[in-house]
Amino acid sequence: MPIFHALANPARFQKLARPLTPLCFWAGVALALFGCWAGLTRTPADYLQGETVRILYIHVPCAWLGMGGWSALALASIAYLVWRHPLAAVAARAIAAPGALFAGLCLVTGSIWGRPTWGTWWQWDGRLTSMLLLFFVYIAYIALSRADAERGGDGRIPALFGVAGTILLPVIRYSVIWWNTLHQGQSIGLTGSTIAPSMLWPLWFTLSGFSLFFAGLVLMRMRAMLARQKVEARMRRMAAV
Amino acid sequence: MTSRMKPKHQRLVLACLALFATLGAGGLALSALKDEAAFFYAPADVAGDLPSPDRAVRLGGMVEKGSVHRLGDGVSMNFVVTDGKASVPVRFTGVAPDLFREGSGVVAEGHFRPDGSFAADNLLAKHDERYMPPQMAGKMAPEMTRPQ
Amino acid sequence: MNPWPFVSAAYALTGLGAAGIAWVSWRAMRRAERAAEALRRR
Repeated sequence: MPIFHALANPARFQKLARPLTPLCFWAGVALALFGCWAGLTRTPADYLQGETVRILYIHVPCAWLGMGGWSALALASIAYLVWRHPLAAVAARAIAAPGALFAGLCLVTGSIWGRPTWGTWWQWDGRLTSMLLLFFVYIAYIALSRADAERGGDGRIPALFGVAGTILLPVIRYSVIWWNTLHQGQSIGLTGSTIAPSMLWPLWFTLSGFSLFFAGLVLMRMRAMLARQKVEARMRRMAAV
Repeated sequence: MTSRMKPKHQRLVLACLALFATLGAGGLALSALKDEAAFFYAPADVAGDLPSPDRAVRLGGMVEKGSVHRLGDGVSMNFVVTDGKASVPVRFTGVAPDLFREGSGVVAEGHFRPDGSFAADNLLAKHDERYMPPQMAGKMAPEMTRPQ
Repeated sequence: MNPWPFVSAAYALTGLGAAGIAWVSWRAMRRAERAAEALRRR
């Protein structure tokens, strides 16, 4: 908890975010690029899918960030609802747009992957449909939080929406286990992976790279929002004098 | 006891309860929708009662080894879809996806005939969650045919 | 089916999307922080 309280101080956050932003961003870009290069040229093709399997190295990180992004957004929303600290609301709002982008990229890369393997761009199976719903929920959150900010709301309604949206996370996660779907089951679990080690290793680079890149984006967007809030507060004070 | 808690702690407990309730609701919805949200019928699902022939449905399972027979017209084929418990003969006319193989997963779109066979007008290939290089797949060939 | 058009399309779209949001976020941050800085100096 002391860490949270230290971070919750906007001045201290700025001091930390300033060097952390380029660090996360560029380390993420480097790791992701290396992972993509390795995944495109340094791994064997799949016994069944051939070269198409290389889409895995970007599709999985996109899916991870789409879902992980919403988990982070929900946690920040809860932190805001409980401690009422404005920085938590800023964090939640900063996560929404990158999260939506990666959820969308997950759908797009999945669709491109589905055509040569399954023989279809899109099917309404449990996994695909629930991921599409998550994408729409992101869009709804962005619209809602924007409307709330414009009307001078305190951000409690978007935060509640952020918590309610977590309903989709177990549905997406377990859809391939509990329903029969066109999408294959989970490849990477806590107990191990069903991807051959010679094909798996670049995925760790793209996963960590995309995640750091995502963190860099969130920090940039938080800093932008905090600076804008500062300007607005100052303008109001100047207008009042 | 609750009355002696600080408001902050009350909100924390409430928020955690709300989060678990939401995640639980998602899980419940998932199991409640089990049948409605199924993407396809497995052969064992239809063993007792066939879906009516005028309903467009999907049938999914493994293509039984050695069951694929291409017909003389060059575009039609017969094969058997099995889930280990039951199997259904399928007739398909059209172009199969590249990944359509014997011993691999398939989802057929079409309708059941009154005699219990399935008339497919589209095939989707379903692969499993295992990815490996060809050399490795050769070594574990017997295990590859494990029905899902 | 030749897989490479699909693989390159997936990588290209992901790269474009990532570069796009990075550019937009960075520009928004720089503008906002410059405006805040300018106000403070006044």
